[in-house]
Amino acid sequence: MEERVIEREFGELAINMGPQHPSTHGVFRLELHLRGETVVKVTPHIGYLHRGVEKLSETLEYDMLPPIYERDDYLSPTANSLAFVLAVEKLAGIEVPRRANYLRVITAELQRLASHLVWLGTFGLDLGGALGGGSTLFLYCFRERERIMDLMEALTGTRFHTNMNQIGGVRYDVYDGFDRDVFKTLDYLETRISEYKEMLENNPIFLERTKDVGIVPQELAKEVGASGPVLRASGVPYDIRKNKPYSAYQEFNFQVPVGNKGDVYDRYTVRLKEMKESLSIVRQSLGGLPEGPIHSRKPVKTPSLFKPPKGEAYAAVESPRGELGVFLVSDGSSKPYRVKVRSPSFSNIAIIPHILPGHLVADTVSILGSLDPVFGDVDR
Amino acid sequence: MAKKISNVRLIKATLLALWFTLKNLLRKPVTIQYPLIKRPLPERWRGGTFALTIDPETGEENCIGCKLCEKICPSEIITVEMEKHSGRGWAKSFILDLQACIQCELCVQVCPTDAIVMLHSMETPTTRREDLILDKDKLEANGKLYHAAWATGLKLQRLHEPKKPSVISR
Amino acid sequence: MTFAESVSHGAILLGAIIGVVTYLTWVERKFSGRLQSRIGPYLVGRPHGWLQPIADALKLLSKEDITPAKTDRFLFNLAPIWVVVMSLLGFAFLPLTINWVLVNIDLGLLYFSAIGSLIVIGVFIAGWASNNKYALLSALRAAAQMVAYEVPLLLSLLVPAVLAGSLNFQDIILAQERIWFILFPVVGQISGITFLLAALAEGNRIPFDLSEAESELVAGFNIEYSGMKFAYFYLGEYVHLLAVSILVSILFLGGPLGPLLSGGVWIAFKTLIVFLIVLWIRWSFLRLRIDQMMMLNWKVLVPLTLGNLLLAGLWVSLSR
Repeated sequence: MEERVIEREFGELAINMGPQHPSTHGVFRLELHLRGETVVKVTPHIGYLHRGVEKLSETLEYDMLPPIYERDDYLSPTANSLAFVLAVEKLAGIEVPRRANYLRVITAELQRLASHLVWLGTFGLDLGGALGGGSTLFLYCFRERERIMDLMEALTGTRFHTNMNQIGGVRYDVYDGFDRDVFKTLDYLETRISEYKEMLENNPIFLERTKDVGIVPQELAKEVGASGPVLRASGVPYDIRKNKPYSAYQEFNFQVPVGNKGDVYDRYTVRLKEMKESLSIVRQSLGGLPEGPIHSRKPVKTPSLFKPPKGEAYAAVESPRGELGVFLVSDGSSKPYRVKVRSPSFSNIAIIPHILPGHLVADTVSILGSLDPVFGDVDR
Repeated sequence: MAKKISNVRLIKATLLALWFTLKNLLRKPVTIQYPLIKRPLPERWRGGTFALTIDPETGEENCIGCKLCEKICPSEIITVEMEKHSGRGWAKSFILDLQACIQCELCVQVCPTDAIVMLHSMETPTTRREDLILDKDKLEANGKLYHAAWATGLKLQRLHEPKKPSVISR
Repeated sequence: MTFAESVSHGAILLGAIIGVVTYLTWVERKFSGRLQSRIGPYLVGRPHGWLQPIADALKLLSKEDITPAKTDRFLFNLAPIWVVVMSLLGFAFLPLTINWVLVNIDLGLLYFSAIGSLIVIGVFIAGWASNNKYALLSALRAAAQMVAYEVPLLLSLLVPAVLAGSLNFQDIILAQERIWFILFPVVGQISGITFLLAALAEGNRIPFDLSEAESELVAGFNIEYSGMKFAYFYLGEYVHLLAVSILVSILFLGGPLGPLLSGGVWIAFKTLIVFLIVLWIRWSFLRLRIDQMMMLNWKVLVPLTLGNLLLAGLWVSLSR
């Protein structure tokens, strides 16, 4: 990684933004070439957080893998394991009970809320700094997120890496009074989210910093394979939950918020609206939670006995960051032959070199923040 | 640009931000002063460390040394040696290296005799690495320090039975 | 006042300022904590963290003092001292009650703003001497920002001077016996608010803390500083902030004037209020971008303050 950044022209200032930098959202290096404060060229460098999940998968049996996948995108763990589990179920032709599907939706949507709250908080940090209004927003968001963590904790026993999804179902059933707790939290979140909306929507400083900044044209977004809120903010109503429903999403009523311009502000509004939709999805699914078993396979005993047939399968979920896909090749043994994770953050940050030139250093930070990359997800 | 919005609204929004923080100033802080005040742990809390259970009636350990937990552990940190005498299996040695544990609870889930459980414990850090490598003695001693977590192998397996609808409490 | 008296008074003032500033950091941490639903300092000096500033100072004193290899050593060491000294010098001319002022000259206001604008040189030195690209960018920003905001700062400072007809602080205070300048219709409010904004910008406070911008430039000019040298910058910032708060209370809130209580209590009270307002703004707003900040300065604040000064002049000449 020893590599010098060289100023190519006179009057150009080349700086390394990262891998240790307060607002690169993890370990990410941007090689910025500046003229004054304007970015003229940018080269992103990734790979600092590579953990070899795909290779590791080839050495472990199917039933061991969901908790490993939860470590991938560390802001929405269940979405990762859900994608993997769906791929295996597709391959092996396992039917999942309806109740389990509902529970999967509930955890996934609660974690989407938590993830978007982290995003809003860190976005505040990017815009306002750790020693100002930004940190205020950050701490408010984390205060709200704590409620969701508490819910997950009460449901599964851990706050974050819940290990909720398993091949064939979910591990935990709801306890008596879970719905009451959730509804209480949702009501609380709803008022708080509208508070943030009110606080930020018309705030002149916020508008100045986000409107018309970092515009991602529709074609570019499609070209680099962006997905999730980044793509939707550019005006493409593509949401896997709607377009290719998985789990129980086809049974719920929700909107897919779409932006029109694709600037930072649109990405912000799309995410904020998505949070509201998530609230409604959780309400619907918990209200109509069907009775029945939560697992369709016999309780897992020996992982080496589970051998899906030879073949390949691709399953994608809408993670808070976009299309999170798992492509699985099986050779009929108890371990995957090859797993490829299509991570949304990786495709989303591919936009950076296209849109950053011409912006100021301060915008670099807000654009990067608005793409919401998670580097555990990018580097896997 | 912001110009579309009238100045009055901008000023109002600016004041709104100030009002918003003021409102929060009057709210109660949410901080829990951790070492002084302890948060109540939920019923299902699992965390920290593990224990090998002992049958309270016979005083014998429950572990039959079946190695199921060893086989399912994703980080491969459990090592069990089995021996057989007096009509059942025993764990001759049982080593759990907590350093690499990812707290997935799969070992608990597969246990056919409820022998390995996670504990309803929170404060389990140590200053020495050796303390994190748990052998049988340490695991059994742990069981006396904290009470077991909600989930046990048999409970989870009953919950996962595909046929009967599950009715369980917290 | 004899020479010995001046020296002893100066020493007392210096000690008092350092003491007050130390505890102002505590006020800030406690205040921001409550604003963010936290508790703030708690454990050191339970239950309110009374000893936290002292613990902080001890920590900073005992930290290793690192000077990076490729810095300009002399300038690198000069910068923090410069910032602290220039911040403290402003106090020499500020009246703390009607009669108690270290040096009473007719050009007090002018002197204060002149000294205040010298702080930027320390920041610039720090940014350049650190031999760090982030620090350099920050220094450039600081220089641009301070030069620009000097204009509305002075223009809004002149309004009380025009209304009082003097640049002497004591005269300005006495002129407010009838009505505080902030309550002066239109003119007073505009100059008060613009002054506060410009002072925030000059003192590198959010929403104008672009030269420190830790989310972009990591920590800006003090990126390479650690231990006591960093503490000097911190001290300088707070001393300057305290001076600005006192200045606002003198120029616009009538300073030591007030019923019943003595002048010292009133000025302390008013200063604390202004200080809290500054903190409140700091912890409520996001940061502007450099070009937007310049736009705000040249397109809004400068015309506004110019017009306001004109208005004040008209008012005074008509009412005479």
